Amino acid sequence: MSTNFDRRQFLLGSTALVAAGAVAPAFAQDPGRLRLYWWGGQARADRTNKVSDLFKSKVDPKVTIDGEYNGSFQDYWTKLDTQVAGNNTPDVLQMDYRYIYQYATKGTILALDDYIGKGLDLSDFDKDQIDGGRVGGKLYAISLGANSVAMMVNTAAFKEAGVDLPTPDWSYDDYKTASVAWNKANPRNGMRILQDGSGNEPAYENWLRQRGKALYTADGKLAWTADDLVEWFKLWDDLRANNVCVSPDNQALDANAAIETTMITLGKAATTFANSNQLIAFQKINKDPLTMVNFPRAKKGAGGGHYRKPSQFWSIASTTPAKDESVKYVSFFINDGDAGAALGVERGIPCAKHIRDAIAPTLSDQDRLALNFVSNLGDLLGPLPPVPPAAAGEIDNELQTKSQEVAFGQSTAEDAGPAFFKAATDMLARSS
Amino acid sequence: MTARAFDAGSVADARAAIPSPWRRAWTANGPGYMFLLPWFIGFFGLTVGPILISLYLSFTNFDLLTAPQWTGFDNYARMFTADPKFIASMRVTFLFVVFSVPLKLAFALCVALVLNRGMKGLPIYRAVFYLPSLLGASVAIAVLWRRLFAGDGLVNEALAMIGIQGPAWISNPRFSLWTLVILAVWQFGSPMIIFLAGLRQIPQDLYEAADIDGASRWRKFWKITLPLLTPVVFFNAIIQTIEGFKSFTPAFIISGGTGNPINSTLFYTLYLYQEAFGFLRMGYASALAWVLLAIIAAFTAFSFLTSRYWVHYED
Repeated sequence: MSTNFDRRQFLLGSTALVAAGAVAPAFAQDPGRLRLYWWGGQARADRTNKVSDLFKSKVDPKVTIDGEYNGSFQDYWTKLDTQVAGNNTPDVLQMDYRYIYQYATKGTILALDDYIGKGLDLSDFDKDQIDGGRVGGKLYAISLGANSVAMMVNTAAFKEAGVDLPTPDWSYDDYKTASVAWNKANPRNGMRILQDGSGNEPAYENWLRQRGKALYTADGKLAWTADDLVEWFKLWDDLRANNVCVSPDNQALDANAAIETTMITLGKAATTFANSNQLIAFQKINKDPLTMVNFPRAKKGAGGGHYRKPSQFWSIASTTPAKDESVKYVSFFINDGDAGAALGVERGIPCAKHIRDAIAPTLSDQDRLALNFVSNLGDLLGPLPPVPPAAAGEIDNELQTKSQEVAFGQSTAEDAGPAFFKAATDMLARSS
Repeated sequence: MTARAFDAGSVADARAAIPSPWRRAWTANGPGYMFLLPWFIGFFGLTVGPILISLYLSFTNFDLLTAPQWTGFDNYARMFTADPKFIASMRVTFLFVVFSVPLKLAFALCVALVLNRGMKGLPIYRAVFYLPSLLGASVAIAVLWRRLFAGDGLVNEALAMIGIQGPAWISNPRFSLWTLVILAVWQFGSPMIIFLAGLRQIPQDLYEAADIDGASRWRKFWKITLPLLTPVVFFNAIIQTIEGFKSFTPAFIISGGTGNPINSTLFYTLYLYQEAFGFLRMGYASALAWVLLAIIAAFTAFSFLTSRYWVHYED
């Protein structure tokens, strides 16, 4: 078929095509330009962009750095995955301990071993934090700060109840004992001393580790048994029945552990399971003064539940045309003194010793609290668990649902334990 | 040989002389199609293309990070044999549609009947009642709903005045779905406007004749209004059923994207979203999407097939 365009038609059509084409490749990868992508709020964005400016003025004035961020952890991954699928992966991207396995084994992120000492300076970087970024022996991610799980504590509510603040020695039993005086004083009309942590995966993990178990083995299998979970659910059944923790329908308001809907922020409980680097963020939206303490001990004297977790990482896209430049940026981010001062402890405790020493005297009281908490875990500190398998996120979701079945009385601890064990085993099998 | 060559040449000449139908169509409509080109690019590139690709993906294992792998009917087989969450989300979605659609239509019809009685300031009332539908599936409304039906929300404060202590409606698996049904019913504006238009179409002389015969208001409604309104009811029912199956935002916001408590707000579309973007199973999610399409198509076809028995068109 031959078609004769006259000139006007040709112009019209080609204009439309050019217009449509122009929209597409506006943000593809380009060696002269670094795209960063991370999750977090405005405070993190300001600090990160400051480091980018420093990098430009101190290292490479020619490079263009575009920082993009997402306020929602959940949406961050949705957008990242879409960009990966569209061959448009950001050059430098923030990575989480939970997802590192998936992105490393699928080849999305770059193994950095060859750059150590050649562009990537890890000379006084904490060894456990380097190892936290390894998958299958290879280094895929650089920790941007160490943190640990921690309970946020509403000090004003404890004062009103006339109950002493929890100490690092407190076990679940001690919380239960304290709850008697607590509920008698009835602070804030029905506030409880604990949130319901039965569906909180970090709380379950911490409790397991104190009993010498773990969530996952190094080869990605479950490292606990159905009986462990039955006992865990029973522990919370007891705390729930004695009004030590909040009611199930209050707990269910906290659907996805967003700080805004945690039991402490909603005023339903005086404590909440969280992370040490989140104290700043929690304090920002809580009127009462907060402090933090370790997760409860499984029983008196039990330790080893906590670990120094890489709170988040920088990883580099395996497809980036700017590999050297990206490595240079990451190395600058973790080692430069001015960068360290700009970042503070917002992403966790810095892992390079000289940075930590330099910023320690400049910290605010609550920042110092976080630093000291992570540095002084003592007998609570155990080894870093292996990188979790790909199905970990899905299993975490399912734990919340199952715990609600028990809490609302639709299932019993004895039934829910084995049922969840089987569901989790299936999820692991399906994703491997 | 020469004869054949001569023949071929003459045929070609003849072709050139008579303009082909293609060319004629082009001269007549070509510029029109050119103007439509941007729309065509959008329609084929952003609608038809992705739909066909999702059909392909529904037969694969695709995690977004690596290339899809063909798995045949595995996704569909799993859905109907080994996926309790698929069943749970189906149940939630059907309950939602079965209750919210008739309630919403009944409510919309009642308000339309009241507004149709020629009251003063009708445009204002109409606008006010229509407002919730405009806000519709917005995030803000879902957030508002969360506050209204929370344990210490407005609803419970109102109940406390008459001495009832209500639960946290939104986070109790026994009630959470019903708060979403109420939210859907509250957004009755668009079917109401269509009902109002339908009521205006009913010839007044029928009512006058009925008045002369001494028919009661009730009887007039059942014998005149409702039968003559059935085409509009039919239209509204189909549109609202499709909307119901597609409902996503309220459940997503209210449950924080989890579908909890105990999967009681796990709408089908929310489950689909979780599978696609939460657990990176784009292939399985595509299969879920096609099953939803089939269900909606089946419902619509069923409505059309039965319509001849209950929809009366005024000829």
